[in-house]
Amino acid sequence: MMSSLFLIGVRYKSAVIAFVTLMTLITGAGLQYLVIDTGFDSLIPSDDPNRLVYQRVMGEFGSDNKTLVYIEDGDLWTPGKLAALDKLQSQLKKVDHVSRIDGLFDLRTISGEQTENGPSIRSELILDKLPETQFEADTAKNRALGNPLYIGNLFSVDGRVTAIIITLDDNIDVKEQDYNVKVYDDIESVLTSHRSEFQRLFQVGPPRINAELKSSLSEDFILLGPLSAFVLIASIVLFMRSGLAALVPIVTSVLTLIWTFGLMGWAGVPLNILSAMIPSLIIVIGSTEDTHMMSAFFRGMARGKENGENCQKAIVYMASHTGLPLILTVLTTALGFASNLFSSIGLIQDFAITSTFAIVANGIITILVVPVLLMQFGKGDIRDDSDEEDIYSNNLPARIIQVFRISQDKFPLYTLGFTALLCLFFTYQASHLYVTNDPMSYFPEDNPLIQETKLIQEKLAGVKVFFVSLESESEKAFLEPANLRKLEAIQAFMQKQGVFDRTLSIADHLRYVNREFQGQFAELRLPKTRQMVAQYLLFFHRSELESYVSHDYRRANIVVRHNVNDSNTLNRYIEELETVVQQIAGPNFKTMVIGENLMVNRAAESLMMSQIKALGLLLLLIFILMSIMFTSFKGGVIAMIPSLIPIILMFGVMGFLNIPLNPGTAMVAVIAVGIAIDGTIHLLARYNELCRSTSDYKGAVRAAVKEVATPLIISSLALSFGFGMLLFSNFTVVAQFGALAAATMLVSIFANLLITPIIMERVRLVGLYQIIAMNVDESVLDKSPLFNQMSRYQRRKAILISELREFEPGEKLVEQGTTGRSMYMILDGEADVIRHDKDRSRRLAGLKPGEIFGEIGYIRAIERTADVTAISSLSALRFDYERMQKDLKFFPNIVAQLNFNISAILGERLADVLDEKGG
Amino acid sequence: MIRFFPIINLRSLNVSCLLSILMSISMGLLAPELKGQVFTDEFEQASGRELLEKVHNTHEQFPYVYEEQSMILIDRLGQKETRNLKRYSRVEQDGQASFLLVFDSPEDVKGVAVLARRNKLGETTQFIYLPAFSRSLIRNAGGASHSSFLGTDFSVENLIGEELDNYILERQRDSIIGGVEYFVVDVRNNNRKLRRHYILKDILFIARTEFFDELDQIYKCQTQHDLTPVLGDMWRANMLLMQDFRENHQTLIKINKRVFSADYVPTKVFTAEWLYENTIQAVELEMQTEESS
Repeated sequence: MMSSLFLIGVRYKSAVIAFVTLMTLITGAGLQYLVIDTGFDSLIPSDDPNRLVYQRVMGEFGSDNKTLVYIEDGDLWTPGKLAALDKLQSQLKKVDHVSRIDGLFDLRTISGEQTENGPSIRSELILDKLPETQFEADTAKNRALGNPLYIGNLFSVDGRVTAIIITLDDNIDVKEQDYNVKVYDDIESVLTSHRSEFQRLFQVGPPRINAELKSSLSEDFILLGPLSAFVLIASIVLFMRSGLAALVPIVTSVLTLIWTFGLMGWAGVPLNILSAMIPSLIIVIGSTEDTHMMSAFFRGMARGKENGENCQKAIVYMASHTGLPLILTVLTTALGFASNLFSSIGLIQDFAITSTFAIVANGIITILVVPVLLMQFGKGDIRDDSDEEDIYSNNLPARIIQVFRISQDKFPLYTLGFTALLCLFFTYQASHLYVTNDPMSYFPEDNPLIQETKLIQEKLAGVKVFFVSLESESEKAFLEPANLRKLEAIQAFMQKQGVFDRTLSIADHLRYVNREFQGQFAELRLPKTRQMVAQYLLFFHRSELESYVSHDYRRANIVVRHNVNDSNTLNRYIEELETVVQQIAGPNFKTMVIGENLMVNRAAESLMMSQIKALGLLLLLIFILMSIMFTSFKGGVIAMIPSLIPIILMFGVMGFLNIPLNPGTAMVAVIAVGIAIDGTIHLLARYNELCRSTSDYKGAVRAAVKEVATPLIISSLALSFGFGMLLFSNFTVVAQFGALAAATMLVSIFANLLITPIIMERVRLVGLYQIIAMNVDESVLDKSPLFNQMSRYQRRKAILISELREFEPGEKLVEQGTTGRSMYMILDGEADVIRHDKDRSRRLAGLKPGEIFGEIGYIRAIERTADVTAISSLSALRFDYERMQKDLKFFPNIVAQLNFNISAILGERLADVLDEKGG
Repeated sequence: MIRFFPIINLRSLNVSCLLSILMSISMGLLAPELKGQVFTDEFEQASGRELLEKVHNTHEQFPYVYEEQSMILIDRLGQKETRNLKRYSRVEQDGQASFLLVFDSPEDVKGVAVLARRNKLGETTQFIYLPAFSRSLIRNAGGASHSSFLGTDFSVENLIGEELDNYILERQRDSIIGGVEYFVVDVRNNNRKLRRHYILKDILFIARTEFFDELDQIYKCQTQHDLTPVLGDMWRANMLLMQDFRENHQTLIKINKRVFSADYVPTKVFTAEWLYENTIQAVELEMQTEESS
């Protein structure tokens, strides 16, 4: 079946080439429609109920989508600098899509004083015209810094820093491809022309973040794929000394990438920061299968050379040895990626869809294209050194195995114990793991954007904004001083929390006006009466209040600025805040704490849950798959070990090194399991195959390890290098993903080749292969005297400890004069018992399915008294005395019944002999 | 001194009076038709200043105006807030002018008043009266008279009229918008264009004023609607709309009642005492506060 699949490329070469070419052309045409999505929307779960509330609050209180221009200068308040600032602000107003600018020249202050003629109030712009003298500039400075509403928002306390807030058109489609980049570039070009005039001048806001994400994403896309390809080629050429072995994964990867990204373009699935990893992932993951296949192909070619067979035979050999594992590994890897679909975060979902398709497409392309390539170029790749041991020029894998064997042979239990302790330690460390989903954490700490964001926080306040919103059922509720005091109390609580930089509400505005009316030295206090509140509010234009109170005064809004980048911390404080806000507001108010960055950070919780679900499901599926493969749950459990150890170690390292679980690192576990299980499948499949022809299971384990080790080590190292290349990503999340995945791949070598074999040597695993291959006629077993009075379970147990042997006609099963302690039961075919006495040979008996022979040698080590020769193709079960005693020591009932049955058989034989002699 | 009583008691009129009124009304109705061509020809070569002086002289014939207004503030979401006000204005023969705006509703701001006085030199002083704050007029010392006031999109200057001597007035090329002909006059200070008036050629009435920022972009626009002939060439708008494009906010003033009468706007109206007597007393509010606390 597997061979047939792989031979499609051999048999229908032209059709396969035509199909692959056509698919590549069709999907390739979709590449032009590929779009990049760097918006934050995809970080918020689509089912988040707060989305609608957020949109409503944004609609009512205005968008939080603003760009801040930071201006710092020690001489800011001098006529010259203010003139430069005025020019800068004027030029910013001309930038396309800028709908509003709030800066020094648009700000109004209210100041009160008591004069001889009575109270006086001044409501005026900080700067109505450019100052011509230093005195005018100083007056403006005092006016600006005297307004508590502006300190921390638009001016630093020392007045060295000011900010210009840019609001962009609401009616622009923010998803428009180049909108953010264009706005960012336009603003940046204005800033560049003024940069020499101020000590510091920069912008921070969604256009910059999006533009930087986009440019970093493009750089990643261009850099990481080729880098991974280079590393892959280098490691394959280094280890396998074959140009063809390097060519194959490159061809399959390139085709896969065209299919995948082309289809993404057609389907409108955007490219995001996670999918930028896909080229690297496909190149490294796809190459692992190709490495196993090329390894098998070279073995096939080496054997073929000995037997005079051709390239096609080598492909058949490759298919028969790697076909099933290939299908299984594609399945498990695809499952690993598909598990991310559980995430409700759009970013991860898009990545899950794309990566799963890519893995499946890579599998199909591999099956179709690799045989074609091998037929075309494989002939010239026959080695002179036909010894399988020498296929790989570098003996690093052999050395690794040698080191592992020392532990396996000399300290197996210590090794297991040490591993268990290690796992316990890292499980404990994993308990320190925390989650974050903040987009700013995607950038490395030394990124100018992060540094400048910190500077804004230091001098003014954090650039992140959320709202604490209170809603009353009664109209004009927030004209009542009692309700305004609730806002004041909430703000005081937030100040006590100590994590938020700045809060601003209508209460602040009223306290400020009240102070000015009372006289400049009065305290900042709320007005006492509702009428006073209403009358003071007349001094504000609606646009000055719309962020803080609804037009009917039923809803009030506290605007909070902060720079908390850690979801865990933020969520904890927000949870506390929500409780206190509701307590302070009382039962007559609906309260909510809402903001885009809060939703993004809250998604961290769902990130954790979805990853737990995904990992759980994947492990369950692998367990079921492996249990079926080995017809026992024990097989399933053992197959899980090489997957579980790297996961535990990975989460432990994350906890130990304080690496958060984020959209990048959260995927490592499922993807790593999906990939690491590939090696396990190859190892166990080969072991299974070997078990069919030997009763030396320890030997089978070693042989399997020896055969699988090289491709497994090479592919794991290639994967590690490939994932390691992601460290060059511009995004911290991608780099962390790469580093952890690389480490996980290395740990999987240790788990697959050191720990799993130690366990396999101690636990007998017999696979489905064996059961299927036996193809035993149940009636044969029913009739066989060896299994007389035995249950199906006992029979199966006994059979699984035996070996299945296949014999060609004329082949001797037992040779006269040799000593052996094995007994045989014929399953299929016939044999003759022939005794040789000097020159004469005599046929003593004919043996049929179900019959036993060699039972005397089984009981006692004596010379065989006759040959047993197959007269047709024959399959027989071989029962080795020592093996039976050892493996069945925990099953005394089975041993007793078998011994009883053998005694009965011997008794029958004795009776026959006596009859013969008597006759 | 010209006095005009738009609210006429018909019973007290004799036939000749009635005929003269009817004549006046028909002249008023016909005025645009008859005068349109005259204005067009007459001002074809006129300067900006001449045009605006003529506009003022034509439509500001009555120095004493009392109005009851509804002021509707419309925010960017179309949400409305309505205030009812009384407006008093009085221009003396020597050029001094007084202007008073008193809030009638909402209840919480009832009695709040803005008082503006312009002296012979054209200098304006403004006072605010907040009954809830204290029984005193608070001088609005800062802020140019072109700054918007009390949360509206209008400035005091928009409502009391500009002092032509303070500006440079530049006639621009005439314009036709929607088939209607306009004279166009720019109002500038030394540095830049501040406003552009569109004057209906037929009745010489400013129907639209655009306000420009330092980048020479329109940021506000005032339009006058529901134009009504008052007497002879004199017209008044019953509805004023000011749109602020930067703030995405509008203020609509609807004139519910207008009386051109000195009796309605006696001098005492523009004093602190009158305000204290005729609006909610701060003392009462303080008492309310004490009771509630």
